[in-house]
Amino acid sequence: MREQGLAADSPVLRLDRAGVSFGPDSDVLADVSLSLSPGSLTFLTGPSGAGKSTLLKLAYLGLRPTAGRVSLFGVDTTHLRRRDLAPLRRRIGVVFQEFRLLDHLTAYENVALPLRVLGGQEKAYRQDVIELLTWVGLGDRLDARPATLSGGEKQRVAIARAVVVKPDLILADEPTGNVDEEMGERLFRLFRELNKRLRTTILIATHDLALVRKSKADVLRLADGMVVRVPHAAEPKSPPQ
Amino acid sequence: MSAAASPLLPKEDAREAALFFVVCALCFLAALSGLVARSAYAAADAWTSDVSGEITIRVRGDDAALANAVEITKATPGIATARPITRDEAEELLRPWLGAGGVPVSLPLPRLIAAEAAPAADAPDLLRRLAAALKSAKLDTIVDDHLVWSGDVRKSIDLAGLVALIAVGLLGATGLAVIAFATHATLLARRDIVEILHLSGAQDGYIAGLFERRFLMLGVQAGALGALLAFGAAAFILYLLRQSVAQIWLLPELSLSLADGLILGMAPLVAGAASMIAARVTVMRSLSDMV
Repeated sequence: MREQGLAADSPVLRLDRAGVSFGPDSDVLADVSLSLSPGSLTFLTGPSGAGKSTLLKLAYLGLRPTAGRVSLFGVDTTHLRRRDLAPLRRRIGVVFQEFRLLDHLTAYENVALPLRVLGGQEKAYRQDVIELLTWVGLGDRLDARPATLSGGEKQRVAIARAVVVKPDLILADEPTGNVDEEMGERLFRLFRELNKRLRTTILIATHDLALVRKSKADVLRLADGMVVRVPHAAEPKSPPQ
Repeated sequence: MSAAASPLLPKEDAREAALFFVVCALCFLAALSGLVARSAYAAADAWTSDVSGEITIRVRGDDAALANAVEITKATPGIATARPITRDEAEELLRPWLGAGGVPVSLPLPRLIAAEAAPAADAPDLLRRLAAALKSAKLDTIVDDHLVWSGDVRKSIDLAGLVALIAVGLLGATGLAVIAFATHATLLARRDIVEILHLSGAQDGYIAGLFERRFLMLGVQAGALGALLAFGAAAFILYLLRQSVAQIWLLPELSLSLADGLILGMAPLVAGAASMIAARVTVMRSLSDMV
């Protein structure tokens, strides 16, 4: 999949009238259309229960749409076979609010996990992983297990794990939800740096409107099962319900 | 730094200890069933080969009739040897049933002739000719080549062997079901790991491989212990049987042989392979239901 490349102006992620329903009268997403261009940094906001996590799940291929289409890197994923999804997933890094680190692995092993899955040799990637953990400020916590890390440290490990394979797209679901404001800003600076240095496309679902306002990034608002692009100046100042 | 040394699938001690015990017990029972079936066939072979080619003639009449019958038997072409069975020998044969106290003198014992057919003799034809010769000498005799008895023995052993094979099959199927259930439970309990592996781009085969290796090792280890316990139990049973003269008479060829070693040696390999296959099939089927 990666070899196919992506035209400079082709969207990294595109949803065409995508919908997710878990039964009659239970539409989580009704009619969502959006497009993320390469190298963009975008926030996804919206009230609780609006379906932000579901939308991200569609994007990282954790769910298939019940209506419409989802395209990643120019590939329509709607009817792809399971085995054809894996190469696409390898181009996506995902960061969750609840971190989802593997408790029995060290910080180093958690970050190295995607490389291990891809069959890499430990001696070939060891230095890269150490440098990455140093970059997120955890160079001295390589052997620490998640249970001994603070929320901010866990999230930085999760971010390092998401970027270790140099993905083309990073999807973050409330990445600052379980950390204090200062750590939230520090995490956002990591995302910003990735976006600028590697031109990684990033989509961050968040409730943190203060962070959104400071960032001056593009904003998509999800409400009533649909997405609208919000001019930055028009971003609501009151917290979502 | 521990660097990629930790298994991706963590050990679950309590659950795996219980599973280890169940697989071990199933392997023990399956190996023991296999040993019983093998021993039963060996005993049947021993019994039937002991009487193969032997002919017993029961003579109704006095000592003169017995002597006459012996002479006629010896003279029949195809008979290698023939001799009367003495009263002492007859009492010895009856000892398992009547005990060591001996047979009362007043108890009449049948007059018997033990004959042996020549190796190349055609048994049915020989019996017909022998019976005809004895009858033409006006002797009241019954000629028995033990074919009916050995046939009955063979049928009984075949039935016992079939029962043992069914038992092994059922135990194997139970083992597969238990492993499949345990794999599914582990998969559900470790859904978080499976999701992260999927998000990291792992194919189903990679994830199934983690479970395969886990259950292969469990199957081999539990199978080895089960086989070892079965060997111990079989040896103990043999020891007990050898303490009983009567039982030893009934079970002349019971002993642990190379074939038994093969059965015991195969148990861990079969248990490991079956566990691995059950785990793989279960994981692949479960993952196919996911996105």
